[in-house]
Amino acid sequence: MADRAARLLAAAWLLSLAGCSLGGAPAGLPLRIEISHVVGDAPLQLGNTYRTAAGDSWSAERLRYYLSNFRLRRADGSWFVNPQSADSSRGYFLVDEADGASKQFQIGPVPAGSYSGLEFLVGVDAARNGAGAQTGTLDPARGMFWTWNTGYIFFQFDGHSPQSGDAEHALSYHVGGGGGATAHSVFLPLPAPVEVTADTSAELHLHADLARLFDGAHALHPASLFTAMDAAAAAQIADNSAGLYRIDHVHRLPKAGLAEGS
Amino acid sequence: MKRSTLLGLLALPLSAALIAAPWAHALIAARATPQLQVPHGWPAPHYNFAANPVTPAGFALGRRLFYDPILSRDGSVSCGNCHQQFAAFAHLDHRVSHGIGGVNGKRNTPGLFNLAWQPELMWDGSVHQLELQPVAPISNPLEMGGSLALAVDKLRGDASYPRLFAAAFGSPGVDSQRLLRALAQFTGTLVSADSHYDRAMQGREAFTPQEHAGLDLFREHCAACHREPLFSDFSYRNNGLDAAPRDAGRALVSGHPGDQGLFRVPSLRNVALTAPYMHDGRYDSLQQVLDHYTSGIQSSPTLDPLLANGITLNAGQRRALLAFLDSLTDDSFIHDRRFAQPHD
Repeated sequence: MADRAARLLAAAWLLSLAGCSLGGAPAGLPLRIEISHVVGDAPLQLGNTYRTAAGDSWSAERLRYYLSNFRLRRADGSWFVNPQSADSSRGYFLVDEADGASKQFQIGPVPAGSYSGLEFLVGVDAARNGAGAQTGTLDPARGMFWTWNTGYIFFQFDGHSPQSGDAEHALSYHVGGGGGATAHSVFLPLPAPVEVTADTSAELHLHADLARLFDGAHALHPASLFTAMDAAAAAQIADNSAGLYRIDHVHRLPKAGLAEGS
Repeated sequence: MKRSTLLGLLALPLSAALIAAPWAHALIAARATPQLQVPHGWPAPHYNFAANPVTPAGFALGRRLFYDPILSRDGSVSCGNCHQQFAAFAHLDHRVSHGIGGVNGKRNTPGLFNLAWQPELMWDGSVHQLELQPVAPISNPLEMGGSLALAVDKLRGDASYPRLFAAAFGSPGVDSQRLLRALAQFTGTLVSADSHYDRAMQGREAFTPQEHAGLDLFREHCAACHREPLFSDFSYRNNGLDAAPRDAGRALVSGHPGDQGLFRVPSLRNVALTAPYMHDGRYDSLQQVLDHYTSGIQSSPTLDPLLANGITLNAGQRRALLAFLDSLTDDSFIHDRRFAQPHD
């Protein structure tokens, strides 16, 4: 009897330990990500005219894209995978230049540790892209969804260029869609290891340089490429869209600072 | 005898009491709600309702939405306008779909049944999952002419839909996911598997000699594409309608030049009910369809190799094949009151 009571006590003690680590205190702090759209060193202004390296002019009217599947690389090469859930849009972010709140969001909770790199998809992974009606940021009613070849628009840039061959000189660079289109992965090394502790997190401030949309891995020329809405035409735009991002700087963020904002 | 009379006397008031009980109404509602049952010998469906279980309130909501023109921009056109149950949910006598303001669509309205088994939807396979299909007609300017956001706004402002959505999904809220899932509960349970052909294959009825001859001809000439038991292999093929396709078809979705003029192989179940035929509704009768396959095939670079030499049929064989195609009509499906326009 005494033996059995001891075993029960031990089991209860183990359960209470598990309760502390799983259900009790959070497993870490959120990590904040802020994105600024720039052209070279200057903030992007919708409607402003910019020039490509080849001398073509362009302006942006609308810039929206999905970021998802965030991972943080630890110094030892292992990864923290940002949680996503099948029955919500948690972990899927719709960034819109015209919506300031959309350019700052949080991933995590991130376990304490030392992190050396950030990875994410520009777009939506194939599994979720084919998974049926979604909610939240992935609600197809948000207009980032193709109906003529069902799937999410990963990256949407609408603007103008006098060089555009379109009758109204429009530029419509839409990447993504159905048919099992693959979203591009981006890996950004952090300039110095970022330490997340029990009471300190960080804000990673990313710059997305729209000049690199035209002068990236491929040089895009509005005279010949002004409308892209299918995978073949958008392949070069998709490549370039994954090359816009860099870590501009990193803030340390005390736990108290995380409570403010989203 | 005595015992059965006694049982009957007992059962009468008992059944009256059962019908009066609230849970009996739930039982009756559940019986009026179809579930996706895989007919014997059929493959596993692509859409299996795992994340969207069919409930009486969910199915009833989907059915009501299917027949409600509120989903179109100006409230004039419902899904049921072009998908008529008596035509196995195709559009009888209409070559192409008709949208708001009387505009004509570009393609023939297909029948709706056994959609859960279709790996992709639409003539060109542009929709990859059953729940998302309604987004296409809702937002097509030639069909319902609105948008998913507009449809959701109208439903939110409606006098009865917010209550019906809450009943169907267990909490208040109207959003596009619930709209699309409710519609899928209706469209995904439209199962047609009770034709004379099905009963004959199960040994419950017998083919006439002519129907049997037609089955043999069908298996020889047609079944490579119109594969049993769904009567389609769901591939995309050019069946030789035009030397130069007027509609790029599958190529619009895939971007491959080799897909010019390819369209999804349609199921032949209920084919006698779904005239006119082909993606553009160019043929009014099955006689014309057989004329096409026997003497009308147009050669082109993307013509399906199986049709390079057409199909040879004499007059008796044509009659036998048509008799077999008639055996694919599922009368219980087109008269199933669970799928009819609700009157409430």
